[in-house]
Amino acid sequence: MTDRRRINGPVGATFPPVFVYEGEDAVKETKKTRSRPPNAIRKMYLKTGVTPSASGSAYLEIETSAKGSGSGLKLSCTVHGPRSLPRSTPFSPHIILSTHVKYAPFATRQRRGYLRDSTERDLGTHLETALRGAIIADRWPKSGVDIIISIIEGDQDRESSKAEGDESWDMMNALSGCITVASAALADAGIDCVDTVAGGVAALVRNAADDSVSNIVIDPVPSEHEKILAACCIAYLPTRDEVTNLWFKGDLGASDMELYTSLVEKGIQASKYANRVLVECLGETVG
Amino acid sequence: MPLDTSSYSLALLRVDGRRWNELRRINAQIRTQAAADGSSYLEMGHTKVMCVVTGPSEPFGPARVGRTGAGAGATAGASGGEAGVVVSIVVAGFSSVDRKRRGRGDKRIQELQSTISSALAASLHTHLFPHSTISISLHVLSQDGSLLAALINAATLACVDAGIPMTDYVAACTAGSTSTYAANDESADPLLDLNHQEEQELPGLTVATLGDSDRVAVLVCESRVQVSRLEGMLAVGVDGCKQVRAILDRVVRDKGRKMVQEGTVQKGVGLEDMEVD
Amino acid sequence: MSSQHVLLSPAELSYLHASLSLQPLPLRPDGRSPTQFRPLVAETGILPGTNGSARICFADGTEAIVGVKAEVERTVQPFTQDTQTTQDEGETPAEDERRKEEVGGSDWVEMTVEIPGYRDDDPTTVFLGQMLQEALLADGEFTKRLRINGRFHWKIYLDILLISPPLSYPLPLLSLTTHLALLSARLPRLKSEGDEDPLFDDDWAASTYVYPRDNNKKDGKDGNNKVVARPPVTLLVMAVGNNIIFDPAREELAVADVALAVSVGEETTTTTTQTGGDDDVDMEEGSTPGKRRLRLLSVRTIDPPSRLTPPGVPNATNTAYTAPTGTAEAKTQDGARTLETERVEGVWKAPRGGAKVMVMAALVAKVLEKGGVADEVLDGLEAVDLG
Repeated sequence: MTDRRRINGPVGATFPPVFVYEGEDAVKETKKTRSRPPNAIRKMYLKTGVTPSASGSAYLEIETSAKGSGSGLKLSCTVHGPRSLPRSTPFSPHIILSTHVKYAPFATRQRRGYLRDSTERDLGTHLETALRGAIIADRWPKSGVDIIISIIEGDQDRESSKAEGDESWDMMNALSGCITVASAALADAGIDCVDTVAGGVAALVRNAADDSVSNIVIDPVPSEHEKILAACCIAYLPTRDEVTNLWFKGDLGASDMELYTSLVEKGIQASKYANRVLVECLGETVG
Repeated sequence: MPLDTSSYSLALLRVDGRRWNELRRINAQIRTQAAADGSSYLEMGHTKVMCVVTGPSEPFGPARVGRTGAGAGATAGASGGEAGVVVSIVVAGFSSVDRKRRGRGDKRIQELQSTISSALAASLHTHLFPHSTISISLHVLSQDGSLLAALINAATLACVDAGIPMTDYVAACTAGSTSTYAANDESADPLLDLNHQEEQELPGLTVATLGDSDRVAVLVCESRVQVSRLEGMLAVGVDGCKQVRAILDRVVRDKGRKMVQEGTVQKGVGLEDMEVD
Repeated sequence: MSSQHVLLSPAELSYLHASLSLQPLPLRPDGRSPTQFRPLVAETGILPGTNGSARICFADGTEAIVGVKAEVERTVQPFTQDTQTTQDEGETPAEDERRKEEVGGSDWVEMTVEIPGYRDDDPTTVFLGQMLQEALLADGEFTKRLRINGRFHWKIYLDILLISPPLSYPLPLLSLTTHLALLSARLPRLKSEGDEDPLFDDDWAASTYVYPRDNNKKDGKDGNNKVVARPPVTLLVMAVGNNIIFDPAREELAVADVALAVSVGEETTTTTTQTGGDDDVDMEEGSTPGKRRLRLLSVRTIDPPSRLTPPGVPNATNTAYTAPTGTAEAKTQDGARTLETERVEGVWKAPRGGAKVMVMAALVAKVLEKGGVADEVLDGLEAVDLG
């Protein structure tokens, strides 16, 4: 599908040049090490009410990895509604949720188009699943709410080549950010939820140092690990102790069920950390 | 791929070994799918299509709630007084030799949809089903020429299977001419049922008639051809439609006979001429 | 599609939920056991114009056709690799080479899903496509098979067509059909060697399967068309009450507490397959039939349509039912609270919130258990004649 309404850049865009550092060997060595302990998430900044024209909005920023060459995750979310549905829509006893997730064209190494591609639509569906469990939908019959997230900066390391960084893992981090920021924006819009839902990611990684040992870390940055074997993204409601969305991807033996369970547990832990930030941010707004 | 049309005059045989007035093998089945109101599968040579008819039903059935116009094809027959006939065609990516993906918004497909929709709307008794929709979904699995004709035939069969009252079969086939427009050959013979290769090279038209009559329901000619040749082509095409109709009729009768034998349906009254052995 | 409206009344939903959560065994509307699939008819190799094709018809009338087409494509050389190789260091290029061989690009496979009545960019269609693609690419084994040489690779187009209108959530149907189509997919035999421009054998009879099988007497085994490796399958499983139900029909999904799509692959015993020009050579000697080791490839939560069902009104709050008394207002106030918080026996209420972690873990464990449903499904698919 070509975009005929805008003047697009040439296809097959190039990447900005990456220069070799002076102390190249030193860089190489530190390349694949995690800068945080395995059970710590990156610092995040969350603020609600950034877009006055929307009924609710939030902005989330996750710090860049310690090396400084990567970009962090920057998300902005606006919530429009609840508002009445157009006349043509059939009766709905619940609020109709529509989620849009869009990468800014400049958010990732590879330029994104203006039209949503399949991964962005996929993220939207995941987000919808995660939020629908949290919203008390039957308090707004015959109405709809739009949740629009733009990913301003996509948490990708500029230095690693395209072949190395597998973008599919970045999607998990993006999704967990989306869930957290959307939850904050929903609260800002005053839409009733059973709880604040936050996203968390855990991954089973293999580090460069020893090829055989794999361990579980939370909030993984793909460029900090040699190889990610499996990852899972969880949307978790802490007070109800329930999961609204679970997305696991990877390759695990059927005999490793404990590994799967602990991966999910770590994901929940990550989500709890994110939720703490979320609750504090909302508390600031109220207080 | 240039087609060696010169060889035709030597043996009077076409590239696939047929004579000028021969149809390709037509193989059809109806009631191929248990859940559908009507369904059919049709092969014309290597062109293979499947058809599923849903309805007559409420205009926006459960499948379309909240999705106005999503994927809906061409509609014929105004809402209100009579049933609308919605046709949607999906051309599978693997249907042609080189994989080519056609979106639903493709203009060529839209044209096919509206042609089929208006042809069937004229034949179906849509006035019996006011405020309803007959939705016909066609899938193209393999393409080898005469696509429109195959689609029309499949849709007719599926409508018969769905038990929607109609005046008669809408049977279609293609006709062409043995030499190109540029050759300006006055003695060119008409050809029946073009395959893909012939369709690329030679002028051709698609014609559909209403049952055994000579009444033309669809006539599509998208290539340049001398007026003098047109009449011959049309006559051959209409003749081919009659043959196609006989084949379709046989398919329906065979299936009906089988169903009576199996006891799935009762033999109706006034069907004395239908021998059940 | 999962959020598709099901035209069931609150009373029907409540009845369905109650019968599906019966202990010890749920009572399903179509009389199946909880782990039983709908009966199906399957055939492969139906379209001679494709590299591989399959058709599956479920007993409830849903039908899908999948066609596989392959094209030769030039492998894009990531230039950052080149910049690295130009720098000295003897072993770096070799290492890069090795890595390049190991992983295939995820864009070597293109999957499209067509569902009648839905646009191809509809979120649910995209979701289905991504889910199937994710499972296929998860272990990286598949893309490895597509490599021709250092410069070229096969690009696989998978076109998934749902022929019938979507009567139930079509995921299991599409996944099984895709599985069979991939099993039957063949690629022309490579005649050229090394990194030169690929040249293929014209003889289709000599073509090799994408998923190799030891049908020949190469090592004198008793194998009769035994497939060595298999593509993944994605199963739909849901929980109602304390019951785990497989392959739910649409009505059953409408009362699901939680629904998961679980993709399962089969372990190939030798993980370090040396891919070269000879991809028809089978290295998996150790795989004995009947003893398969499953791998978990992906899990996704499916938004259960039960969240969008209309709630019932309990008698206590139904003003039309209770005789109006002096304290009507207080009563409705009270009732409103009941409606919000409590579950009244026999009155349907759309589930709120998510699912307990334990339930989700149990669902996944049930799929993967030895001799469980995934095993059974793979056994069933093995029985399909692959032409």
